[in-house]
Amino acid sequence: MNKAKWPAFWFLLPAALLFVIFFYWPLLQNLYLSFFSWNMISPTMKYVGLSNYIDILGSKEVYKIIGNTVIFVLIMLLFNFVLPYLYSFILGHLLQRGKMFYRSVLFLPATLSLAVASILFLWIYNPLAGPLSIVLAWFDMESPRWFKENLLVIFSICTIIGWKVFGYNLIVMLAAMVAVPREMIEAAKLENASNWTIFRRIIIPMTSSTAIYVFTITVVFGLQYVLVPVNMLTQGGPDQGSSNLVYIVYQYGFIFFQTGKSAAFAIITMFCYMAFLYLKNKYLEKKVYYEN
Amino acid sequence: MNSIVFENVCKSYGDAKIVKSLNLEIKEGERLILLGPSGCGKTTTLRMIAGLEDITSGQLKMGGRVVNDIAPGERNIAMVFQSYALFPHLSVWDNITFGLHIQKLPEAEIKKRADEALEILNLRGYENYKPKQLSGGQKQRVALCRALVKQSPYFLLDEPLSNLDAQLRQQARTELVRIHEIYKPTMIYVTHDQVEAMTVADRIVVLKDGELQQIAAPDTIYRHPANTFVAGFIGAPSMNILKARFNRDCICIGKAVLPVPELWRQVIGQRRDLLLGIRPEHCRLSEDAAVQGSITYVENTGNQRTVELQLESGENISVTVSDRNADVQNSSGICFSWDDVSLFDVTSGRNIGYIEKGEVFTDAMGS
Amino acid sequence: MKTKTHQDLCWHLPLLVAVFIQLWPIVFMVSTSLKDMDQIFQATLNPLPLPPTLNNYLTVLGNFPLFTYIYNTFFIAAFVTVFKVLTSVLAAFAFIYYDFKYKETVFNSMLLTFFIPITVLIMPNYLLMSRLDLLNTPWGVMLPQFVDGMGVFLMRQTMRGIPKPLLEAAVLDNAGPLQVLRKVVLPLIKPSIIAVGILFFINSWNEYFWPLLVLQDKETYTLPLALQMFISAEGGSEWGIAMAVATLTSLPPLALYLVCQKFILNTFMQSGVKG
Repeated sequence: MNKAKWPAFWFLLPAALLFVIFFYWPLLQNLYLSFFSWNMISPTMKYVGLSNYIDILGSKEVYKIIGNTVIFVLIMLLFNFVLPYLYSFILGHLLQRGKMFYRSVLFLPATLSLAVASILFLWIYNPLAGPLSIVLAWFDMESPRWFKENLLVIFSICTIIGWKVFGYNLIVMLAAMVAVPREMIEAAKLENASNWTIFRRIIIPMTSSTAIYVFTITVVFGLQYVLVPVNMLTQGGPDQGSSNLVYIVYQYGFIFFQTGKSAAFAIITMFCYMAFLYLKNKYLEKKVYYEN
Repeated sequence: MNSIVFENVCKSYGDAKIVKSLNLEIKEGERLILLGPSGCGKTTTLRMIAGLEDITSGQLKMGGRVVNDIAPGERNIAMVFQSYALFPHLSVWDNITFGLHIQKLPEAEIKKRADEALEILNLRGYENYKPKQLSGGQKQRVALCRALVKQSPYFLLDEPLSNLDAQLRQQARTELVRIHEIYKPTMIYVTHDQVEAMTVADRIVVLKDGELQQIAAPDTIYRHPANTFVAGFIGAPSMNILKARFNRDCICIGKAVLPVPELWRQVIGQRRDLLLGIRPEHCRLSEDAAVQGSITYVENTGNQRTVELQLESGENISVTVSDRNADVQNSSGICFSWDDVSLFDVTSGRNIGYIEKGEVFTDAMGS
Repeated sequence: MKTKTHQDLCWHLPLLVAVFIQLWPIVFMVSTSLKDMDQIFQATLNPLPLPPTLNNYLTVLGNFPLFTYIYNTFFIAAFVTVFKVLTSVLAAFAFIYYDFKYKETVFNSMLLTFFIPITVLIMPNYLLMSRLDLLNTPWGVMLPQFVDGMGVFLMRQTMRGIPKPLLEAAVLDNAGPLQVLRKVVLPLIKPSIIAVGILFFINSWNEYFWPLLVLQDKETYTLPLALQMFISAEGGSEWGIAMAVATLTSLPPLALYLVCQKFILNTFMQSGVKG
């Protein structure tokens, strides 16, 4: 609308400067650090070429980490994508009363800190005296050690993330649900379409752009949310059983003090993220129905 | 001095040419209407004057100086938007004085101008209302008011009445002309409504696909449209255009043979095939008509009836009859007077000339 | 008619289950914080702390610099909120008000930062903060958070909702860009700015990971960091105290949300959708 370029520059400057300093420059610096062997404290850094990458890709650990990451993603997709999707449909189109109440209450955990959520669930999952163990005892079941067993630990952590993020994703999905014109659903009902048909044939196509957004943030942010409970409750254990591509960067950097390896992991993680976003754009965005 | 001149002005977005080489001179103090169907480039033309759109090539002069690169705010223009663009968070008073405060006029002057404008537009008592508390007509008047207080030499209106209902629109039209008469700014008014154009304009510019079709006073445009597009666009129902053939001092329409008066023969010259235009309101139904046809449909709109006939040649023609008592059913065709006829070239569609007060005009019309 | 109500009831069932799951841990947290040690282990599932005791809170107050933690958290959250809103608003305004080359590229590169995983950034940023001598200071926590890709996106989305003629009308009145921003844009999007501000505040209040690295001295801790001290040794027995601190940490965001919930949810429902 306006031609002058310099004023635009001044408005963009504060944000752009901060983005460069704290986001883009660190990316480059990681790339640089990944070619060195360093422990963050010693004054000398040793150039090692690609050996950090070779070490990582040759280790068994990295495949376990990638496997964990995939499992994390799958469980989180269930809690934070599929469930909010279905619930938002019920809330947006099937319920007559109580919508406001449900909306408000279900969002509550989203306002709490993940640190709080982690502590809460640590107590809830406490195998000896925690509330869940008492409930299980009623059914003569012994509580498993939720944070100490391979695989189970991933599930337990995902429930924490699910609890915290469900409400937020629900609200975002609900906005898209409500935007589907009521007439369209009523027209389908006049044709005697079942709720399932309506969901499949009308709702899914009409809300797909938001659904893909929620899908994306579930994967991209979910793996970062995991950091808090993992760091507070398991430190990646048992035996790296709850570490993932995002946490491992922190582990190598700040626990094992292998800065070069940490940086190399950071680059690999970043590469995986970009690959995910690229694939999403290529295969999902095409099928999306956009209003305009 | 406050004229506006377009010299070969073009506007394109990428490959799409919105305005194609426009040449136009708008005189100081006149009411000029830009008229055309949607997508004809009329709003773009207006926005170029305001400076809200860049000019791709050519020159735009206002008051004698080239303004291509002058910022909109420095062109001293008052504009009324189609949506009115009232600031929803400001009261009527603050909306009206918004621009004056930016100009840093003295408070006394601001108050004087705003009071005056509110008086003229009958908005006294609404100063503290917010736009959403006002009716459509009131909002439109506030928008006018905001333009008025600037006392700019240029007054631009972009379909200012299109959001009003039919009755209000007529009132608002009259009001607009009255306001213009007070300050006499150079007024450019965009509309797609031909009634608005006919009633408000000193001159009308008809545009189509970014090209100027005709620029003339409303009466001229009505009586001597420059081409078949203008003929069809102005007037409702639109002008009948019939295929005609000139042969031995006569014009043949289908089987009908009509003798051509001497002056018209001069206009026609050597041409053979022609298009003959005649407005429905200038046709008369008759029982022994020159051009034969049969009635296919009669539409009664209360004040008049529109009769559709199919001529022997297969062409359709409409005739409006305003006499309530006229018997339309028995008529077998139409007749018309040569005074009301327009003739167009069959290939270019251009008007080939006309007769005014016993004189022949065959110069190129339109641009 | 009867079947219709019946159907409605069916749909309430899954929602009530969800409400229980979402609500119970919060209720449980508060009630546990009001129980003494015996109650915690003997009446674990009882939601009512009978008789309620404030001992846990008093213990925390007596043994930890709780007010320092609250102040630290608030100080950081407030500054971060103000600056994030500021940088987002300015950048978003440039995107809707000006046309310039590579506009989409610049915007996308800002939005993209939103997807960069935090651990990829922490090492270089940590080194930078240590070089600037900002470790163990609130500024070290705040600086990298003064900008946010999501903020720019949300603000631009909101500003796009302003009808263009409003801006053009101001431009024709010779209003400069700052005047357009101050007199037209900001008043029109005030509700969204407040909602986004509240969200920034809550997020920053809850922030755990980056402060964990920057703040190592106990007196510089924020509340979420302080929480960690109570769970260290293999789920120690201080559950009442841990829950008391958790409750205190959760109180401000919860209160903010409960007061402005309609406002926040509506803004979110409007701006959460991709456009």
